[in-house]
Amino acid sequence: MDKGLLAYLIIPLFAAVVIPFAARNRPRLADVLANVTLLAGLANLAWLALRPSMIAGGFADIPGDGFSLLLVAAIYLVALCVTFFSAWFIEEGLPNRQAYYSLILVSVAAMTGVVTTSDFFTLYVFVEVLAVTSFALITTDESAGGIEGALKYFFLTFPASALIIVGLSILMMTLGSLSYENLRIFMSSDIPSGPVTFAAALMLLGFVIKSGVVPFHAWTPDAYQGAYAPVSAHLAGIVTKISGVYAIVKIATLLRFFDGRATAVSEMLMFLGLLSIVVGALAALKQTSFKRMLAFSSISQVGYIVLAAGLGTPLAIMGAVFHLFNHATFKTVLFLNSASLEKAAGTTDMDKLGGMEHPMPWTSWTSVIALLSTAGVPPLSGFWSKLLIILALWESGLRTYAVVALLFSIVTLAYFMIMQRKVFFGRKSAAAESASEVSAPLLAPAVLMSAVIVAVGLLFPYFYTYVRVVAERIIL
Amino acid sequence: MDLPIKMLTTAVAVPVFGAFLIPIAARVSVPVRNAFAVLLGLFTFTAAASLLTTVLGGQTAEYAISFPRGFDFILQADMLSVFMASVSAFVSAVILIYSLDYISHYENQTEYYAMVVLFLGSMMGLVFSANLLWMYVFWEMTGFASWRLVGFFRSDRDVAKANKTILVTVFGALCMLVGIIIVYFEHGTLDLRALHGAGISYAAAACILAGILSKSATLPFSTWLPDAGVAPSTVTSLLHAAVLVKIGVYAYARIFGVTFAAPDAFSNLVLYLAGASALVSAGAALIDTDIKRIIAYSTVSQIAFIFLGLASGNKTAFAGALLYILMHSVAKGGLFLCAGIIEQNTHTKDINKMGGLFASMPWTGVAFALCSLSVMGIPPFGGFFSKFMVFSGAAQNGNLAVLLMFFAGAVMTLLYLVRLFYKIFLGEAAGHDSPKEGSYTMVASVMALALIGLALGALIYYPSAYAQLLTANLGVNLQ
Repeated sequence: MDKGLLAYLIIPLFAAVVIPFAARNRPRLADVLANVTLLAGLANLAWLALRPSMIAGGFADIPGDGFSLLLVAAIYLVALCVTFFSAWFIEEGLPNRQAYYSLILVSVAAMTGVVTTSDFFTLYVFVEVLAVTSFALITTDESAGGIEGALKYFFLTFPASALIIVGLSILMMTLGSLSYENLRIFMSSDIPSGPVTFAAALMLLGFVIKSGVVPFHAWTPDAYQGAYAPVSAHLAGIVTKISGVYAIVKIATLLRFFDGRATAVSEMLMFLGLLSIVVGALAALKQTSFKRMLAFSSISQVGYIVLAAGLGTPLAIMGAVFHLFNHATFKTVLFLNSASLEKAAGTTDMDKLGGMEHPMPWTSWTSVIALLSTAGVPPLSGFWSKLLIILALWESGLRTYAVVALLFSIVTLAYFMIMQRKVFFGRKSAAAESASEVSAPLLAPAVLMSAVIVAVGLLFPYFYTYVRVVAERIIL
Repeated sequence: MDLPIKMLTTAVAVPVFGAFLIPIAARVSVPVRNAFAVLLGLFTFTAAASLLTTVLGGQTAEYAISFPRGFDFILQADMLSVFMASVSAFVSAVILIYSLDYISHYENQTEYYAMVVLFLGSMMGLVFSANLLWMYVFWEMTGFASWRLVGFFRSDRDVAKANKTILVTVFGALCMLVGIIIVYFEHGTLDLRALHGAGISYAAAACILAGILSKSATLPFSTWLPDAGVAPSTVTSLLHAAVLVKIGVYAYARIFGVTFAAPDAFSNLVLYLAGASALVSAGAALIDTDIKRIIAYSTVSQIAFIFLGLASGNKTAFAGALLYILMHSVAKGGLFLCAGIIEQNTHTKDINKMGGLFASMPWTGVAFALCSLSVMGIPPFGGFFSKFMVFSGAAQNGNLAVLLMFFAGAVMTLLYLVRLFYKIFLGEAAGHDSPKEGSYTMVASVMALALIGLALGALIYYPSAYAQLLTANLGVNLQ
């Protein structure tokens, strides 16, 4: 456990316990407590990583491997946007309102645990805590859709947990330790490759299911569509990335130390990544529900991260880390905007919307920024991370992969163009006549995240320096 | 920083960042917003034109920000970039002024001004960038601005056409990015100054060419331009026909004209593609009946002549092609603005419903005729000299098949423009009630462009001396 970051785990956990008691008679207090906890954490992180002396020093003094810190920042950022949004989005009288905030904070604590731990068993425990909280969060929406989504999530991710625990046991039996440090040493030494490869493959399979990579993606659209809109932003933006993709990146970097004795596993991972990009993008083209389209888009974008993680060169890891962060920002914007649409127009069915840019200009423009970044249009942040991934693929001689990954940006752009035409552009629909822009507090998170997207894109050299430090520390 | 470098950076930064201030200016009042937008346009033109003295003095101005992995942001003012920047900033400034009147009664005006200025800024960035990656970045930014502009009217048909425009051009741009990546791994740098005179592989050249052809609406990517030219307002189509398509031409001149030594077989391929493009689009212009579609097809056809000059590998032809960019921008701008006046006053785009308009719109008719003559290449208009230089240079290279294709294309240009003029201004009136002449500012701007075309012909010595000096100084692999 990275002890320097332990406070980021304990404080939200503490707040989660306090909220139900403190806010029993004053429901607004739950909003305040959750937001203040996360905001304080974020301010703290910003000071830790973004103070001028740190930037001037090229981030050399970043505590830990830097990866944890970046991801904790992403977790706090997304969670803050979600709780801030929820404070105005979820009606005050709802019975499980306090529970909702507690669950969000527990999931923040669990995610922090996942990214700060230094051994696979602790990681597994926190991933399970995360799975339970997500399951409960999806059911906060008590409609049939919420229950269906939650059940699908449950039935598909718990077998995945079983696979992971079997893999962990085999690893434990063969190597006698599960800490990253020891694994790294074992991997570089002369150990029998069979059981380790098998264990790694099982674990990867489990995490691939958890991150919703094709062909194990069936649960994601239903879960995202069924849940409350802010919850789907939370899940798609950060939870599935931490519970699945983070571990994939971690295992893939460890496999690199295995001296090419597990190339089949890495190649399989890359293939699944590419398949995700292709299938997710093509499926997103056909969706009529905004949230489902975003879910498929999420599958497609996770494909890029998995593809880069499978490749595992330093440049690819940089691209994967960068894209993981970027994905959290732009997917949160889009999901929160879908929530705003739902609130303003009463539906997220794209066939019933149209011309929403007139009543909702802010929502429209933040969506444009986020979708262009997703499609990798320069100079926004998504362009740079995709470029790094594609350069890494090309550098390793995988030109077909690089070209396919690059050209599928056009499909990404195409489905977002369809979305933009149906929802925001185009002739005014009946929904647009009666709708009006949501209130400023609901817009604030999307505007903040859009600002992050633009800023990271324009300040690419600084971010690049940071992710290079990360890649150097977790690979070398 | 000395003055030229300041001018160089402001020419890019002021319109790019100024575009985002336009919505804020719009909060103050409409006249403030309009004045601000026009000022941005005029300032950009002044800044770009002020660099002419620097480059004529044999100097270049450079400005660089270091980026990791050789993605440095480099702005460079040399003869080619300053020439191109001045021409496009001039046309854009005219468009902004003309727009004041023209779009004053439509929705989404603030977005329109913001996007035109953003487009102008991205164009400046593209032209001045001396790093392929940053060319690509600005390339996509222009694509974004044009997406919003083509979708200016928000009917489903317009938005579908806007989406077609951006998808075609972004697809091309992604192909170009593949080409850029190949160059990156072949040479280890994307700095065009370092790449001067280097060789380029067929794969990279072909990928980059795909991007160029998609942006400049040449076969096989030509279909978006007539669509983009029809759906939105005239000013938007003008922006596309007179400025946007020149991006592709500029990129060709920059990448294959003055940086890489393009393989001969590659240049030949470009010649045949351009020849086919000239013929097909001229044919389309001959049979279409929509005035703006005809002019848009004419643009596709004329762009092919520029490619002929650039790809011939001959100094005279290359200089002629550069002049062609200038002449075509001015003359085609005039034609589009005339079409705007005609459309606004007759309320139709169908040339069969016009006829005999010369009696009621004499000034527009004269301006239209003068601009047409320049596009046809009749002496003493500027268009004659550029076409003549392109042809004489290409003839020295001696590819008879290509020359014949282009000769046929030139004859067809003559035919479709005469037909267009006859159908609109001469002949019998077809069911209209003699519409009145356009407003004073509009007629003044088209007459100005027509007379500039004539003046450029009379003073051809200066631009042609500039183009020849440029070719001699910067050209790579030219005979």
